[in-house]
Amino acid sequence: MTSIAAPPKRLLLYALPIVILLLVLPFVVEPYQTVLLSYGLIFAIAALGFNLLLGYTGLLSFGHSAYFGMGAYGVAFIVKYLKITSMEVFLLGGILASTLVAALFGFLCVRYTRIFFGILTLALSQVLWSLAFKFFWITGGTDGLRVPTPSLLGGQVTIALGKAQDKMDFLAHRYYYYVLVIFCVCVAVMWVIVHSPFGKALQAIRDNETRAEFIGVQVWHYRYVAFLVSGAYTGLAGALWVPLNGLTTPDILVWTFSGKIVFFTVLGGFQTFFGPIIGAVVFNYLETYAVGHTVYWQLVLGVVLVVLVLALPAGIVGTANRLFLKVRRAT
Amino acid sequence: MAEVSRRDFLNALGVTVGAAAGASAGILPGPSKAEAAEPPKGKIPDTPYKIGHMTFFTGPAAVLGEPSYKGHILAAEEINAQGGLLGKRKIETLKADEAAGTDANVKELRRMKLSEKIDLFTGVISSGNTPALGPVGEELKLLTIFVDGCTDFLWDKAVPNPHYIFRITNMQSADGVTCAVATAMTWPQVRKIAHIHPDYSYGRNARDHFTVAIEKLIPGTKIVYEGWPKLGTTDFTSHITAVLAAKPDLLVSSVWGGDYIAMYKQALRYDLFKKMKFSSTIAFGVAPHAIGKDHPEGVIAGVHSNYYFNYPPQGRWPANDTFVKKYYDRWKEYPNFQSEGSYVTLQLLKQVIERANRLVGGWPDDEAIIALLEGALTVGPAGYLQMRADNHQGYKDAVTGFSMNSPDYPFQILDPKKIITIPIRNITAPPGWGDAHGKEPTATYTWIEKTWPKVA
Repeated sequence: MTSIAAPPKRLLLYALPIVILLLVLPFVVEPYQTVLLSYGLIFAIAALGFNLLLGYTGLLSFGHSAYFGMGAYGVAFIVKYLKITSMEVFLLGGILASTLVAALFGFLCVRYTRIFFGILTLALSQVLWSLAFKFFWITGGTDGLRVPTPSLLGGQVTIALGKAQDKMDFLAHRYYYYVLVIFCVCVAVMWVIVHSPFGKALQAIRDNETRAEFIGVQVWHYRYVAFLVSGAYTGLAGALWVPLNGLTTPDILVWTFSGKIVFFTVLGGFQTFFGPIIGAVVFNYLETYAVGHTVYWQLVLGVVLVVLVLALPAGIVGTANRLFLKVRRAT
Repeated sequence: MAEVSRRDFLNALGVTVGAAAGASAGILPGPSKAEAAEPPKGKIPDTPYKIGHMTFFTGPAAVLGEPSYKGHILAAEEINAQGGLLGKRKIETLKADEAAGTDANVKELRRMKLSEKIDLFTGVISSGNTPALGPVGEELKLLTIFVDGCTDFLWDKAVPNPHYIFRITNMQSADGVTCAVATAMTWPQVRKIAHIHPDYSYGRNARDHFTVAIEKLIPGTKIVYEGWPKLGTTDFTSHITAVLAAKPDLLVSSVWGGDYIAMYKQALRYDLFKKMKFSSTIAFGVAPHAIGKDHPEGVIAGVHSNYYFNYPPQGRWPANDTFVKKYYDRWKEYPNFQSEGSYVTLQLLKQVIERANRLVGGWPDDEAIIALLEGALTVGPAGYLQMRADNHQGYKDAVTGFSMNSPDYPFQILDPKKIITIPIRNITAPPGWGDAHGKEPTATYTWIEKTWPKVA
């Protein structure tokens, strides 16, 4: 058994100040900024999961809205039918629901690669969307389902910090920290996954499927597990997102939302580990401010995408890395 | 349930047709007292009063939604020309595109309150959005007056005890019922009915309330077809051909905005309107100039039961005369019911703030404004508007009418001689009804089902 490479010390050196900054943020900025950042961190979890398939396994899924949506609707059904409002149950339920769907969809999809894989994932996710849309007596249709303020850690956090009544206060502080902790855990676990032998095997499959098979990697099996992990991550993000948004609607199951997840990853750079994280956070700010400041918000996002593809195909992090290397070589 | 004749029933509902309807408004209201140049009491800050206005600026819904912004701006400019609210606080409007989607709208509402620090949130067209935004308005403790998005669901289920949020345009259930009443009095012979409604809460609400009311007014009708195109669809061919195949006496529809324009133009190609009667809840809800002269004449072309610019007729209701003139001068087009709704929203706000100032002096806090908004009565272009205190919902008499071409306008209008009005209290559930009798699918639905007699 080869041991998993520990993250280089240099990386931890960079990560530490960022984590400290994120920790003190609620005391420095307005509540709105931490709420907005929570959205970004949650999207980053989804993008991390998505990139396990795109960046590490070489599979472009166009149906990740399905797992995000299942995470969210899973939570909404827990509230609707079981009347439970514990956040931990939400997370378990969301992960379970999305993993189940990923198990089914993955079974059908991972036999294919390239465009066939993309189209199949897209088609299957649209099936879920139309179910949520049409079965309105169960899913609320376009009105969606409401999710109340959850209790964190079995209500312990509410008691410890008081001021239970104010929803904005809850979202901007307690919920932000909750999201932040889960985000850090997710990043660490994903780091371990992609640097483990399993992750290396995925990369081998990505780079040369035939060779990987020749050295004994069970391609189908590895792809399927990667698909499950990816679905579970995205579902976890969906479950975290619902209490923040207050309700879930079919909007997050539609293929354009899958497109957004692709956008996060391409924006940040899918060939790097941290690219999707940066991409998701930046995209969230970009979209929010575009919608808030102009009725031509679609145009703004479109132009960014075109510029990205033409000028910065490596994304923000990829381009920054290249620049950094260039500067270092020059000096 | 007792059985009555249809004529007695319609009389009991207080349905009136045509110009005679305005006769009850014998005494015309003068300018409101607040305008009698009384200086505001106390010290008023001169910081701008920031308002967030959300409506559809893009997509097929914009033809119905954008007039909301124009009505709002007209009122804001009028108030600002007098120095602002209480003569001091100028209105500053931030706009947002509702077409960004429910989730982005929730984010945007939070941004407006927490980052831009708006004092009031208003607008919103789609009934898919108010149940999402209403609870957020309450969470943010943000004074909110929705212009539309009039689903019963908002008060029945999403926010049953509103404090910060209000709504101006008529309750949605009134729309289907108004359409049914107009249909029953115009074409009592119809039996086979086809439906085409957008596939979301408004479409289902319109279908349900039309059906429950028509069953009382014309017992024994049969639904021969139901089509549910997605909101934002512009190809209705499959639904139109299916309706034709079902050979109904009547087609009922709540398709709206740009969707409706596409639908009627496609239906024309199949001569649909020659083969059956047509009743719509909201056909003429769009900006009036969006309806071409090719639109079929003599159909029931609803205006969301709220307002059409030629009613109350010229010279009879000064508030409408001046509103239509000012709106036309400012935008070179005629207002729709959303324009009226957002205009009345600001006028009502102004009236309430002035009243609160006279009572307590200085700039009134939100609690004072809310207390006075509850139960407020105002005079708008459409008529009297009452803000019910228990559910924060605006009520005004329901309006619908018949399409006609007039040489006076380059577009089709509602026939001013045949406007139908119904007192709103006769077609919506009274306060307290839903608490005692259940709210499935809405309080008004059970109220009609259980209390209306059947026509013999």
